[in-house]
Amino acid sequence: MSYMRSLVLIASCAIAGCAGNGEGLDANGRPLMGGGDGGGGNAALTPDLKSIQDNVFTPICTQCHQGAAAPLGLRLDAASSYAMLVNAPSVEVPALNRVTPGDPDNSYLIQKLEGRAAVGGQMPLGQPPLPAATIAAIRQWITNGAPQAQALTDVMPMQVRAVAPPPGEALSLAQPEILLEASGTLNVATLTPANVVLVRSGGDGSFGDGNDVAMGPVQIEVRSLQPTVIALKLPAGDVFVPDRYRLTLAGHGAQPVRDRDGLPIGDFVLQFSVGGAL
Amino acid sequence: MTSRFLLLAVLFCAAPALRAEPYFAVMQGVKCSQCHVNPTGGGMRNTFGEVWSQTALPAQRVDTGEPWTGELSRFLAIGANLRVNANSTDVPHQQNTFSFDTDELRVYLELRAIPDRVSLYVDQKLAPGGSANQEAYGKIWFDNQRFYVKAGQMYLPYGLRLQDDTAFIRQVPGINFTTPDRGVETGLEIGPWSAQLAVSNGTGGGAENDTGKQYSVRVEHVQSVWRAGASFNFNDAASGKRQMQNVFAGLRTGPIAWLAEADYILDDSFTPRRKQGVGLIEANWWYRKGQNFKLTAEYFDPDREVAEDQQTRYSVVWEYTPLQFVQFRVGARIYDGIPQNDLQNRHEYFVQLNGYF
Repeated sequence: MSYMRSLVLIASCAIAGCAGNGEGLDANGRPLMGGGDGGGGNAALTPDLKSIQDNVFTPICTQCHQGAAAPLGLRLDAASSYAMLVNAPSVEVPALNRVTPGDPDNSYLIQKLEGRAAVGGQMPLGQPPLPAATIAAIRQWITNGAPQAQALTDVMPMQVRAVAPPPGEALSLAQPEILLEASGTLNVATLTPANVVLVRSGGDGSFGDGNDVAMGPVQIEVRSLQPTVIALKLPAGDVFVPDRYRLTLAGHGAQPVRDRDGLPIGDFVLQFSVGGAL
Repeated sequence: MTSRFLLLAVLFCAAPALRAEPYFAVMQGVKCSQCHVNPTGGGMRNTFGEVWSQTALPAQRVDTGEPWTGELSRFLAIGANLRVNANSTDVPHQQNTFSFDTDELRVYLELRAIPDRVSLYVDQKLAPGGSANQEAYGKIWFDNQRFYVKAGQMYLPYGLRLQDDTAFIRQVPGINFTTPDRGVETGLEIGPWSAQLAVSNGTGGGAENDTGKQYSVRVEHVQSVWRAGASFNFNDAASGKRQMQNVFAGLRTGPIAWLAEADYILDDSFTPRRKQGVGLIEANWWYRKGQNFKLTAEYFDPDREVAEDQQTRYSVVWEYTPLQFVQFRVGARIYDGIPQNDLQNRHEYFVQLNGYF
């Protein structure tokens, strides 16, 4: 019944015209105190990710590129934009990264904003193109190396989180890579087959019962350093078969993964399924 | 062929319009499948739709003998749409912009392996930018075209399928002509009822990244002067579950066709969960053959828990179809939102050339 009341109210508002007066909200329409998403877009645009997020990605791009319905799976909310963009291949033109640090001309994001991409329309779709000064700021951010939003404060021990697949979710066979983001900067030289281990359950969905299958040494692709974003893939010729998988980044033992200060990271374990297997 | 054309011309001599807009269907009291290859509307027109668009839509029909039906043979049909715009945009505190744009050039192809039963359909967008596939699916009709199954990449059934993807009811739900999805759809076309159920990846055309799927249900009851329907969509996505529901309706009062839709969205991809509302009311006044005057009021509440963040959009559009295959559209869209967001308060003016074939 509450749904129906809401629908009737919405239809009434469409006729009556009830635009908000914005009182107590930032420029993105979020409450200024408590519960805001952070950032309001009121400050002048500067060539850093936080400013770009607040002034461009959040108010404009996330009108579509957000949540479950994000076109082409590209989410540009504050929690996702960095990992989804920097050194991540575009879906429309996989040969190009959405953002290649230091190379705005060959960053697909810029090509889409400037309307010279090989596929599809200029972004933001159905809206006026971004002002040249705005695109210039994004270009400058990329030229500067596309750094993360703010200066990173390394936590102890360093933590790693999964961007794709999210914890508890399945891995896409159309994009069979595991995307991880550290809370700071890892010493990527310490990422070795000894401490980055991928196994599958052997078909029973459980681990440690004697039938686990060790996968070949995963290929580690470093996509950014600050924060460290890495993509893990199977060796050439190997494929993910339907099963339950467990990825471990060991922060202990003889050869732990270490951060840039040489300190072992916190152990990281991600379990996921492929092909609907449990 | 000539006799068929004459019959159709007689049938439609009083029919006011046809194009990929729901108000045409409301004007005529017919289903979307009456004029489109796709039972849920939009895209390629069928023979009925092609002939109608050439005889009833234009202010004047240039006699070309037999009309273009799109059929190259019993087994192959083609079609196309071109939209070219001149846009002027006025954003507060920014320099006005004026631009010429190719909004879209699409070509359609239907291979009819068994005419009226089994077909392959392709909707390919050629511009702007390079070629991009929008729809590509196979479809099978059963039981004398009362029941169908299609599989592949397709637009999902949800609410009113307006041509304007920037309308709040198209942009906010995220189900529009820019976000085809891959999956399976089954539908019923029985008497006044039209119903569809689709199961798809739920990734907006991107790679599947979880085991959850998107479920879309749409039911519509069509009468000669009114119609009403409801839709439901649930996307079990890794980034957060999203549930949408709407009711929509159409009504003809004399020369005016009314459209209305109200959507309520529960989105768990936000923390905390966000409840959103979207609404549209539209009046289409077909005041003279070949000319339509459209008034639209739209409403968007981005978060029901936050006060004073609502947005509205009002549109005035004049559509003029002087000849078959050619339509001009002149319009203005006035956005009204919170004063601290300039884009939410922009004004857009456009002239559009729409070629349909």
